[in-house]
Amino acid sequence: MLDPIELQVLTGSLRASAQEMGVVLIRSAHSSNIKERRDASTALFDADGQMVMQAEHIPVHLGAMPAAVAAVLGEQHRPGVSWILNDPFAGGTHLPDITVVTPVFTSAGELIGFAASRAHHADVGGRVPGSMPADSRTLAEEGVVISPRPLDERTLEELVARMRQPAERRADLRAQLAANRTGALRLCELAERLGPERLREGTDAVLDYSELRTRACLAALPDGTREAEDVLEAPEGDLALRLRATVRGEQLTLDFQGSAPQHGGNLNCPLAVTRSACLFAVRVLTDPDIPPTAGAYRPIELRVPLGSVLNARPGAAVAAGNVESSSRVADLVLSAFGCAQGQGTMNNLTLGSQSFSYYETLGGGQAACADADGPSGVHVAMSNTLNTPIEALEREFPLRVLEYSLRRGSGGAGAHSGGEGVVRELQALAEMTFSLIGERRRHAPRGAAGAGPGARGRDLLDGVQLPGKCTGTLAEGQRLRIETPGGGGFGHA
Amino acid sequence: MLLGVDVGGTFTDAVLVDGHGTVHTAKVPSTPAEESVGVLDAIRLVLQRAAAQAGEVRHFGHGMTVATNALLEGHAARTALMATEGFTDVIELGRQGRADLYRLCLASPEPLVPAELRFAVPERMAPEGPLRALEPRAARELVEDLGRARPQAVAVSLLHSYAHPAHERELGALLAEMLPGTHVSLSTDLVGTFREYERTATTVLDAALSPLLGSYLSQLSHDARELGLPEPQIMQSSGGLTEAARAGAHAALTVLSGPAGGVGGALLLARLAQEPDVLCFDMGGTSCDVCLIEGDRVTETAERVIAGRPLSLPALDIHTVGAGGGSIAWRDAGGALRVGPASAGAVPGPACYGRGGTEPTVTDANLLLGRLLEDSALAGNLQLDRAAAERAVAGLARELGLETIACAEGIVRVAEAEMLAALRVMTVERGIDPRGFAMMPFGGAGPLHAAALAREMGITRVLCPRASGVLCALGLAAAAPRRDVARTVMLRGPELSSEALERERSALLAEARGALAGGAERVRVRHELRYAGQSFELPVEEEAHSAAGGSEPSGAAESAWLDPQGLREVFSQAHEQRYGYRDDSAEVELVTMRASAWGAAPALARPAGAGSAGAPSPTEPAKEVREIVFDGSALPALVARGEPAPGSTIVGPALWALPEATLLVPPGWHGAVDDHGTIHLRLELEGD
Repeated sequence: MLDPIELQVLTGSLRASAQEMGVVLIRSAHSSNIKERRDASTALFDADGQMVMQAEHIPVHLGAMPAAVAAVLGEQHRPGVSWILNDPFAGGTHLPDITVVTPVFTSAGELIGFAASRAHHADVGGRVPGSMPADSRTLAEEGVVISPRPLDERTLEELVARMRQPAERRADLRAQLAANRTGALRLCELAERLGPERLREGTDAVLDYSELRTRACLAALPDGTREAEDVLEAPEGDLALRLRATVRGEQLTLDFQGSAPQHGGNLNCPLAVTRSACLFAVRVLTDPDIPPTAGAYRPIELRVPLGSVLNARPGAAVAAGNVESSSRVADLVLSAFGCAQGQGTMNNLTLGSQSFSYYETLGGGQAACADADGPSGVHVAMSNTLNTPIEALEREFPLRVLEYSLRRGSGGAGAHSGGEGVVRELQALAEMTFSLIGERRRHAPRGAAGAGPGARGRDLLDGVQLPGKCTGTLAEGQRLRIETPGGGGFGHA
Repeated sequence: MLLGVDVGGTFTDAVLVDGHGTVHTAKVPSTPAEESVGVLDAIRLVLQRAAAQAGEVRHFGHGMTVATNALLEGHAARTALMATEGFTDVIELGRQGRADLYRLCLASPEPLVPAELRFAVPERMAPEGPLRALEPRAARELVEDLGRARPQAVAVSLLHSYAHPAHERELGALLAEMLPGTHVSLSTDLVGTFREYERTATTVLDAALSPLLGSYLSQLSHDARELGLPEPQIMQSSGGLTEAARAGAHAALTVLSGPAGGVGGALLLARLAQEPDVLCFDMGGTSCDVCLIEGDRVTETAERVIAGRPLSLPALDIHTVGAGGGSIAWRDAGGALRVGPASAGAVPGPACYGRGGTEPTVTDANLLLGRLLEDSALAGNLQLDRAAAERAVAGLARELGLETIACAEGIVRVAEAEMLAALRVMTVERGIDPRGFAMMPFGGAGPLHAAALAREMGITRVLCPRASGVLCALGLAAAAPRRDVARTVMLRGPELSSEALERERSALLAEARGALAGGAERVRVRHELRYAGQSFELPVEEEAHSAAGGSEPSGAAESAWLDPQGLREVFSQAHEQRYGYRDDSAEVELVTMRASAWGAAPALARPAGAGSAGAPSPTEPAKEVREIVFDGSALPALVARGEPAPGSTIVGPALWALPEATLLVPPGWHGAVDDHGTIHLRLELEGD
């Protein structure tokens, strides 16, 4: 057992190592999706594949990294041979998220753990540029499916050749390898300093410590079962989601029995995405200061029926599951514990033509809390990516921004009001296609404890309302206006 | 004589360097309610100590925290914003990121302009030029409206004004005519670069803080004149000085005035010690600041965040973490020993200050370990209370199931782990290998932790300045004036021609040079480049010394600036070095150009040391022995006190109680004092 000092020093070292991996990845990647939007994560694992630390850049990767290492754990590992995967049903989440896993060996040849990095690649060879089609019905339409395989030079070249902008893909994958090398180096240094045995005892202690802290938080919640219901706004109609959340002592069970079966569109989630969203919500409800390790999540049990929209079977389309359904899962867990709902969508907009492709997501209203108003115009749950400056956007693309403002009055009224949504109006300066994936267009984000809901989102093409998920063409001069949802309020006004 | 005065949170320091190079110092309590009172107290005291007259002072450098404190405490002027219609909320929307991933209602700082003071200007510039003209009558009506809201200051920031400033200039002229006496900041003049949120936020901050800073500085200038002192020169965040009038008109330039002075002092001593690569570590009661001197230059940044607000102006790249001597140790719910972020601050201070603090701090732990003397000058001639420190640490030790001394050692180790993280951010996380660097600690607590931190970083040399407690003021006495001008130009392909490059460069250089009253001694152009389509830039810098000035060998002759082809090549090399690849098929885009001009720094007589007449004869330090705990065992250690005499040596384990700080020399380290009073420590590596 480690003393309280060693424990804190080792936790700090692991945190710094995972953080440094992330910095290396972001610094050496090529695409703005990784560099500017920081849509990437890095983590370290022990030899049994238990996550001992994760660097947190984006919540949607939170609980999904361990699945990637689990997917290659049983393989025969050799020094210097990394693994690559993106199959949502074998360690991945959605196809653009590619994970590279590197086994870490001591100089004596002992396997002491794994370094893993995941990054959202700007394209993975799907049917449309960006590989995030609004209307995909099978996984194959969304891009190249990579089952776990060793990543050698030939594999790398073969894979990037099947994607758009192969040079950028190659650079980004090399950045992931560089990040893993850094993680491996730091883990080896620790093993050298402490000895592999002592390191093992140390990481076990860090896992137990994280578990202890989560248990202390769960014990503070009243025992009992809470329920929540919500829907996903599929094009063909609403898909019901149900949750029974049970706290018993220091244990939390999240049971999604009764949620809709997987559907023919792409709102399906592989289990790893549902898990990430649940762990995000638990982190909000407990203590965000708890180290993000496998231990922190031991006291949480997930029950998600196989074949449901939240645990889809292999082959299902999943592009929107990761970006949209994940927000709804987080809402379900937070709602069960009495929280109000934020905008609950990322308002994904993809524009493009033969000559360009542009993707943006828009902030909206955050839910009010029991003790504070909800912030306005921010990303609320599983994403936290930055916007593109208008002065950069208008130089790069045939687009003009006509308005970018707060959507005043869209936040739910209450003792604490929900955050305001955003208005963004774009004008096409040339013909282009658009693809829109938004939620909370039919159902408003709910308030809590007697407060009012936030306003629903709206999307208008030259003033005519569009469905929340659609693909179409903008003629030169046409205007697309997106009004993002407000957050729900909290408490009687 | 050269005078430097630095206002810190607790103390105001003055340094006077006389014609013999002797450094006189004074330390008085700061007077936050009216900073100029403390400034004048410190000046009078240092003049008295040097037996000098105000009239003998020919340079007065000043660093202060007026703008920073006003920002942190929310004392901004009533400020209005004029922004392009449809975009008045950009100041609030920011980059749409939330303040914390999991604390969902944690708010970003409120914009300094409330919604009702944001005025929509009926105009629009596109990247190519005017899209919607600003009608004179509409502009007048808008300024009238704005005047009725009675703002003290106005910020003007219109879309694409970095390239097309005409509308901002028209509004600036109207505001001057119609609302005389109201402070006005134009984004094109102050910032000049693209990215509307960052430019607008910087301009708003400038407007909101300038009225307050302006009145402080005009009062100080007045008082200085009365005393017979020269006009104060104000330290900017960039590490260079500017005139008091300009600083007062642009408060955004001096938001990091305080720490920049210290870095200037560190740079001065690093040069004297002929160390080109130095990791500076400034630790006080509540925080530590880390910055890097690389190749004799302090690393700079053009984009940084202050108290949650972006600042798009040149600034020294200083990284701050909340770990200081006053950081409080505690046991968390998982049973780990934690230190900070809560701090006992100056009031009540650590338990050993005897001012009512009961929680164990890093300072208390150091005292118990024998690393601080009870009579150390740490808190201004305060006798430290060892029993109080012991009570505080023992309480925590019981909770953790540790011996008191083991707990004290643990507090120091955990605190050092936090500081180590800050040092790593500035080095390994930026791809810089720190092992060739020397570490320079300053601030009251820096020298206590420097050797241990250096060892963890693989650094084997520590330079501890004699005047580590007043380094900021020393830096101010010796700083050079500086002026910066920036412009986003967005040139690529055939537009990036020799003619265009030359035209932009000469215009910027002429503007920067022309603004320095005494002429420029050195100029630098920083080209921020990227491959077209990327959303981040890499700087390529070129320096030149004017014919009259420098004898330093580095830098281009002014006729030999890079041409576009050279620029592309240097950029591609830098890109390859930093990111591991170059892309010769991609178009290189010149995004922003920044010109900086430095005037001459005041010539310091050779600072105090061997052979400098008039220097106080340093006393050979009295030596005593006391026990200091290292790795669980109490070792007998030598204690030295007072001014470090050139040539004297020290061997660890030992402790040197300097006038304003304590240097800890752990086992394995030994040191010698150079001619300038700087103690050079070296780690004797095993097997050497």
